[in-house]
Amino acid sequence: MNYPVWDVPVIGSGWTIGIIAIIHILISHFAVGGGIFLPMAEAKAIREGRKDWFPALEKFSKFFLILTGVFGAMTGVGIWFSIGLANPEGTSALIHNFVFGWAIEWVFFLVELTLAAAYYYTWGKISERDHLRLGWAYAIASIGTLVIITGILTFKLTPGGWLAFAGTGEEPHHFFEAFFNAGYLPSLGLRILVCVSLAGIWALVYFGGMDGETEGPTKEKLVRWAAKWILPAYALMPVFALWYYTTIPADHRELFQLGVSTIGQGAFTHVTRMALMAVLSSATIALVIFLFAWLFPRELTRGQGLAILFLALLATASGESVREFLRKPFVVNGYLYSNGVRVLNIDKVNRVGYLANSPWAKPVTDTTLPSPEIGLRMFQGQCMACHTVDGYRSMKRLAGGRDGKAIGSILKILKDHKPESPYYKYMPPLVGNATEIESLRQYLDIMANGKLTSPVVDTRPKPVKAGVDTTVVRTDSAKAAPVADSLKVAKDSLNVASKDSAKASAPKASVDSAKAVKPKADTAKRP
Amino acid sequence: MAKSSSVAPESRVYRWLDERLGISEIVELAGKKRVPEHKHSFWYYWGGITLFFFLVMCVTGVLLLVYYRPGDGAYESVRLITYDIKFGWLVRSIHSWSANLMVAAAFVHMFSAFFMKAYRRPREFLWFTGIGLLSLSMLFGFSGYLLPMDELAYFATKVGLAIPATIPVVGPWIADLARGGPEVGAYTVSRFFALHVVVLPAMFVPLLGIHLALVQKHGMSIPESEQAKPEKARKTIPFFPNFAMKDMAVWLIALNVLGFLAAVYPWQLGPAADSLMPAPMDIHPEWYFMSSFQILKWFGNWFPGALGEFLGIAVFNVGVLLWAIVPFFDPEKRSGVWGRRVTWFGIFVVFVILLTTIWGYAVLPAGK
Repeated sequence: MNYPVWDVPVIGSGWTIGIIAIIHILISHFAVGGGIFLPMAEAKAIREGRKDWFPALEKFSKFFLILTGVFGAMTGVGIWFSIGLANPEGTSALIHNFVFGWAIEWVFFLVELTLAAAYYYTWGKISERDHLRLGWAYAIASIGTLVIITGILTFKLTPGGWLAFAGTGEEPHHFFEAFFNAGYLPSLGLRILVCVSLAGIWALVYFGGMDGETEGPTKEKLVRWAAKWILPAYALMPVFALWYYTTIPADHRELFQLGVSTIGQGAFTHVTRMALMAVLSSATIALVIFLFAWLFPRELTRGQGLAILFLALLATASGESVREFLRKPFVVNGYLYSNGVRVLNIDKVNRVGYLANSPWAKPVTDTTLPSPEIGLRMFQGQCMACHTVDGYRSMKRLAGGRDGKAIGSILKILKDHKPESPYYKYMPPLVGNATEIESLRQYLDIMANGKLTSPVVDTRPKPVKAGVDTTVVRTDSAKAAPVADSLKVAKDSLNVASKDSAKASAPKASVDSAKAVKPKADTAKRP
Repeated sequence: MAKSSSVAPESRVYRWLDERLGISEIVELAGKKRVPEHKHSFWYYWGGITLFFFLVMCVTGVLLLVYYRPGDGAYESVRLITYDIKFGWLVRSIHSWSANLMVAAAFVHMFSAFFMKAYRRPREFLWFTGIGLLSLSMLFGFSGYLLPMDELAYFATKVGLAIPATIPVVGPWIADLARGGPEVGAYTVSRFFALHVVVLPAMFVPLLGIHLALVQKHGMSIPESEQAKPEKARKTIPFFPNFAMKDMAVWLIALNVLGFLAAVYPWQLGPAADSLMPAPMDIHPEWYFMSSFQILKWFGNWFPGALGEFLGIAVFNVGVLLWAIVPFFDPEKRSGVWGRRVTWFGIFVVFVILLTTIWGYAVLPAGK
């Protein structure tokens, strides 16, 4: 790790968070749904005199305790670690705003864990009535965690009236405006339905392991009862999904609508593809449960249960991907971009510089001249939240086939961040002063082409007449020396500086730079 | 024996159809067929998964045929399908992904059959037809790879056809026949197209029919651990509806995997092939040829020149031949010395394939 920058090779930090988060969602939503499932099953067994259910439910509650208490908690902490490293500014903003919200959630979580353990360890040791009460108490605590976290999650897309106080220092005083945002209730409804479905699906995974021969009648009843838990989601999910859709801000809904409107033409966006995938896998789960579990409950195996869980994983991954993608290019809509830059700070950062304003960037020795080293810090700070060098959303691939000039043009489009730009809806604005932007251009040029392919621009202000563009093409080859030095830093970071090439590339780069700085009348922006 | 649930439709539509088509008789007949149920039953589904991907390929292949033009217009037609035709990218992505998944599923099916000793007497011809089907599937992949005629397809085919050309006497003739000339070009595309949509299906479908008929005749084999149990202790379930419905569920899961891959990683189209351009540094065959590609490369390094190429091909073909005729070495129902040797041979083959494939990708030079 390149602290304080988190460089995850190949998959990038986004996918790392995604993988941990998807596993966490599968388990944490089960922690809530299972919390309702267990006391309901126990109550049903007591009511209908099904004593044969108790041993199975006791074992299931042990499985539940281990899975949610160990793996759920571990992945929850994993999310904290990963988001803190991948997007410290976003994490900091959320903590500052929701510190009491999170404190309440952790209290609920502590109560939840304690009651889950108490529920398992008191099977047969206290009265049925008290045991059932413990179960219901657990259910209330676990629903409490969901009630809290949903407000924080939905805030990111629909901060609503809170935005009026953003940047004033008054933000934490408007906790409830942030928390009870437009997306809160429909999202809470959707998540509760997912929790209920996942309770049924995890129960199928567990009860699939029961012996159909020796425990046939019990297994049949439990499997069929668990299979029914998928039904509320099928009846109500479309209603809540539609409600949630209406709360998505119009400019973000456009991302989705673009795909929906082009389905007739067969060309739809990533977000639409993932939404359709979520629908396909959700619909398939019901059919597969019918074929595996409902028709042949005694023959259901653990493997088949896991196959159903795999479909739930696909549905969850697709659904969460849609939710995340719809928020682009923000972490907190209208307030904080995905590159950790606050909307309110853009002018200042462009004027003073990005690196001077970022507490997370490594210091650079010389910031007076553009250099690939500064470019590397810019890349780490502003690109790596979504891109990798040569893995997922590879910058090497995206910049490949373009020379330095073309890369510079794209960076200009990203910096201008005009609504007509093709990147406007997906990417945050590129920020920084002229030296930093030129440095990033050089860094990406080396990444794509192995060397600088266009003239190095000296961005230092020149004492010239007012109204004259002060950006000049450097004409002194001696000034290319810092470029050659920092070129090595950049190449090291790109992992292209092998022992041989490092020796060869530095002088070659100097030559390239020297060639590049040859004066050209058409590139010198002089009046 | 596991108790089976029955699905007995009593609707008027069913009775109407039953009276005319005799559905009940077919269902009754299917219900008599039983499938072994044990801890290794999971592997029984892989043949069905392979068949599912083949059916998806047939349907999407027909859709692609509507717009695809072999010959000089090949690249442009695939560009049209990918970027202009409604849902063209989706159909192409599903076709390409199902081709890859089909080969992967066929490999799993073959190795599971191998390690469960499903090639033993009297199932030798099931094994032979299976090997034939897998070989044809790989040829489907090879011939289909060129059809978009993009840069990677062009150079990979060029390299691929250089391999048979090294076979003494007949090699150059085979390569020329496939190429339709001295260089890979529009005629090669036409020939590969004919191979892909006419010749190979004409061979594949009857062979598949024989393979399925033999499965019906001999039933599913059971592993030795199950054979050791007394007849009464062995569990079975009816093929219909129990196994058939579960097979259907597995197909739905396979459909999700296919849909997910096509949605997240739509199949890309590279730049048009240009014979005057240098080959990309990272030129490589499809993953299922990577192992043989790497083995041939090794022999080429150890024995430079034609000798290395010939030795590589010879060793590779001997290996494939030994694999194909394994029922002759291990025909008996109980594992003796040869049974154990064959198992070790299988483990060795899996190890070599995995190692050379991973190695092949690891040493691949970085692309552009």
